[in-house]
Amino acid sequence: MRFNPVYRKELKISIRSIRTAIILLGYNGILALFGLFAFYVTFEYDSRYGGTVDYASILRIYAIITVAEFGLVLFTVPALTAASISGERERQTLEILLTTKLTPLQIILGKLASSISMMIFLAFSSLPILAIVFTIGGVTLRDFAEFMLLIVVTAVFIGSVGIFFSTLFKKTTSATVSTYGVLLVLGLGTLAVLWAIRLIIQIKMKKFSGDVMPYQTPDAGNWILILLINPAVTYFSMMEDQIGTGSRLTSFFGNFGTVSMEIQKYWFFISVFLQLGVSAFLLGISARLLNPLRNRFYRKKKSS
Amino acid sequence: MLLIKNLTKKYGKFTALDNLNMEIKKGEIFGFVGPNGAGKTTTMRIVSGLLKTDSGTVNVDGVDAGTNPGELKSKIGYMPDFFGVYDNLKALEYMEFYASIYGITGNKAKQLCLELMDLVQLTDQGDSYVDEMSRGMKQRLCLARSLVHNPRLLVLDEPASGLDPRARLEMKDILKELHNKGKTILISSHILPELAQMCTNIGIIEKGKMVVSGTVEEILSARGTASPIVMKFTAGQDRAVEVLKQNSLVQNITIRDNSISILFKGNETEEADILAAMIQSGAMLSSFTREESSLESLFMQITAGEEQEVSE
Repeated sequence: MRFNPVYRKELKISIRSIRTAIILLGYNGILALFGLFAFYVTFEYDSRYGGTVDYASILRIYAIITVAEFGLVLFTVPALTAASISGERERQTLEILLTTKLTPLQIILGKLASSISMMIFLAFSSLPILAIVFTIGGVTLRDFAEFMLLIVVTAVFIGSVGIFFSTLFKKTTSATVSTYGVLLVLGLGTLAVLWAIRLIIQIKMKKFSGDVMPYQTPDAGNWILILLINPAVTYFSMMEDQIGTGSRLTSFFGNFGTVSMEIQKYWFFISVFLQLGVSAFLLGISARLLNPLRNRFYRKKKSS
Repeated sequence: MLLIKNLTKKYGKFTALDNLNMEIKKGEIFGFVGPNGAGKTTTMRIVSGLLKTDSGTVNVDGVDAGTNPGELKSKIGYMPDFFGVYDNLKALEYMEFYASIYGITGNKAKQLCLELMDLVQLTDQGDSYVDEMSRGMKQRLCLARSLVHNPRLLVLDEPASGLDPRARLEMKDILKELHNKGKTILISSHILPELAQMCTNIGIIEKGKMVVSGTVEEILSARGTASPIVMKFTAGQDRAVEVLKQNSLVQNITIRDNSISILFKGNETEEADILAAMIQSGAMLSSFTREESSLESLFMQITAGEEQEVSE
């Protein structure tokens, strides 16, 4: 089996770097702190001040650790990917790569694969911390596998955004800021859009029904589906499926309107596939942008 | 090996290449000369598949660059005028990385890379980190890297820029050795005396057009009478300048502290006439010499009036 040369080279460089060791230490250190905190809250605090240990709430440990890890993934991936192409450009190695047999898509995929490998490496290194929950039980291996899948998909999704901006901008700083900006838009912007739509509908409803506020919750309709590209909602849907009853997800969607039960039931998988689709699109665009012989997307109008 | 026909490239309103035509035959070392902004790097980037043409054709060893850029890349070894390095990568690993791109891996790759490093006189540098090497060593490593897939045509953009005299000499020796091995090389440089010694053919480009091309001897003999005349004065230099300005055969006058250099297109009799005219004007000449034809003087003549940056 022949590996992508860029992927091999990136792995070799990154694994030697002191930066990798620092990221590994920081990632697991923060995660361990969250794990210990969750453990303390669940056992020590409850038993000392509450006099009892609520074994039903032990899954809270799992939730706290995974939410911390998911947050770390969201925070780490842009830093790993936003410099991938712009960094080559800044080091003046990109042009040499482009004169070789490698296609722009191979370069892009090699870069993405190395970033995802790094993320998987970090995720696997954190397994002992996640395994805290196994001392008590309540979480299955399937849940773990699902969580790992989510981490990989999120790394691919956010990584594609990072690589897209890294290809688009010459400077790593611009690419990094833009990637974190898009992450903010995906996480909070989609919710803000729904709140805005909800407000507009509410105002309209109030207008038609006079001064009396209607009892009915404003329905944002299909606009709710933009939450499918919100990684935080994807995580939430997974957690609800694993350790919840689904009622909190229904109630969350209820703030904006109604989502059909079928979509709600498969929200996690629909979301994962959609995010992978968006990733493929962004990677395709990035490869096109990287191709020095590409045709322009548009042509300037000829000046008369 | 390389055939360029009517190549045109524009950046906005600026025409970098204007119907450029050139040909390099197999086994030639072709020196590409021109002032800054003349179109040398643009041509090399197009040949290497890094730039799209506006019109015209580029054909490398029977492969059309426009229709088959993928195959073109296997025929070209490109060395840009800068050298980017990867941190935490050793010289041999750097070479092996590029070898792996062409499907050469394992012991075969190691052996090939060591041979190439030996060729560029970096035999013992395999374990050195690339970013810790000197500029000369990096340039040679970059040259070895461009040879890793045994390309038919080497495109070297200013390979000796920024190198000290010793490193330049080493680079020249390596290129000569590559020529002896039958490689076809397109090389651009501002160090004209070295190009004249090393290249089998020269092409001078200006404003995106090939002004003259051929073997060094052909070019110099064709334009030999136009070598600059250098005059030194003890007094009356201003009067001499007035005489020269009135002579239609004088093309370009460069005035220095106590000397004047002119491009003069006349024959020996006309040369004697102008000398007599200057003496009659009262100018005190201490020397009057026509310089020996050189690539540098030819370059100065052709690019007269343009920005000139020629280093020794």
